[in-house]
Amino acid sequence: MIAVLGLVVGVVAGLLVQPEIPAAVVPYLPIAVVAALDAVFGGLRAMLDGIFDDKVFVVSFLSNVVVAALIVFLGDELGVGSQLSTGVVVVLGIRIFSNAAAIRRHVFRA
Amino acid sequence: MSNQDATPENRLRKELPEEVPAIPSQQGAPEEPAEPVLTGRQRLVKGLWPPRVTRAQLIVALLLFGLGFGLAVQVASNSDSGNALRGARQEDLVRILDELDDRSQRLEDEKEGLEKQRDELENSSDQAEEARKQTVEKERQLGVLAGTVAAEGPGITMTIEDTKGTVEADMLLDAIQELRAAGAEAIQVNGVRVVAGTYLTDSAKSVSVDGNKINAPFRFKVIGNPQDLEPALNIPGGVVQTLEKEQATVSVERSTKIVVDALRAAKQPDYARSSSQ
Repeated sequence: MIAVLGLVVGVVAGLLVQPEIPAAVVPYLPIAVVAALDAVFGGLRAMLDGIFDDKVFVVSFLSNVVVAALIVFLGDELGVGSQLSTGVVVVLGIRIFSNAAAIRRHVFRA
Repeated sequence: MSNQDATPENRLRKELPEEVPAIPSQQGAPEEPAEPVLTGRQRLVKGLWPPRVTRAQLIVALLLFGLGFGLAVQVASNSDSGNALRGARQEDLVRILDELDDRSQRLEDEKEGLEKQRDELENSSDQAEEARKQTVEKERQLGVLAGTVAAEGPGITMTIEDTKGTVEADMLLDAIQELRAAGAEAIQVNGVRVVAGTYLTDSAKSVSVDGNKINAPFRFKVIGNPQDLEPALNIPGGVVQTLEKEQATVSVERSTKIVVDALRAAKQPDYARSSSQ
């Protein structure tokens, strides 16, 4: 419950504050957000499976974000930034879908 | 593994009851030791409703706060239409710039074409205006000849006093011919315009010009060069002398401004048609 509240408060704060994104972070923020979403779906699934562990969640969340940002950074350096970030988004999207399917099986039994 | 029964069916049947209870106990054990066989839905509801402030909840809330914040900021900056290029990558920006260059090049070309067209149209309208002016000018010139417009300019006035009634049409015609030969451009006699088709006839002690009877004194108003017109009338054996022989008195006056204002209706020829060749 507190976690859901945290998400809601974060969205509201982001919409209200509207901070200027530092130029250095601009390319990484979207990918980082998608990676974090993937981590959150994974955590939700683990919770439904009953194997949720907060340490694992924190580590996977942070490492997902860092790795995604790193991949984008590397892609930019290699000159294939847009393709690589597309690839990252596709992979994360597939993972999100499979996690969502598992969650759906738990919640709706279907 | 029990070795009581060797048949595969029995072995499997024996194995299953041993393992089945193990799975729920392993799943439920870490989080919910009290209720080992909890379904996912129940776990979700349990996690959601009684809000418990635990370390795990707080850490997850912190991370989710970060996620929500980043999500909202990203969405807001992305949907900011005035700043659509903000999040664009370098190669996208280069591509957009190229496209814009191409587009402005195309628009520039189009502008040049349209300007050229405009110039042509202006020229042609200038030409049309010029042609119209020339037409008007020509109409005026022809109107002076045809007698449809009034004319003014330097010239002479010739007055023929004929107290005895001896002046005849052919004498006036001679006078007109002489004036024309001397370059008269517009002539009127007693209010009748003399044009190309003018004819003079004698009629009962007087003269008719184009069927209009006129009486002495005959007053000619002639536009032309006075230095040419007057001598032409006064040459020996010319118009003036001939008329004076007939007891008429002739006076010729030069003037810098003669107004020939007798008009004649423009008449459409009945038979003659202009032939373009």
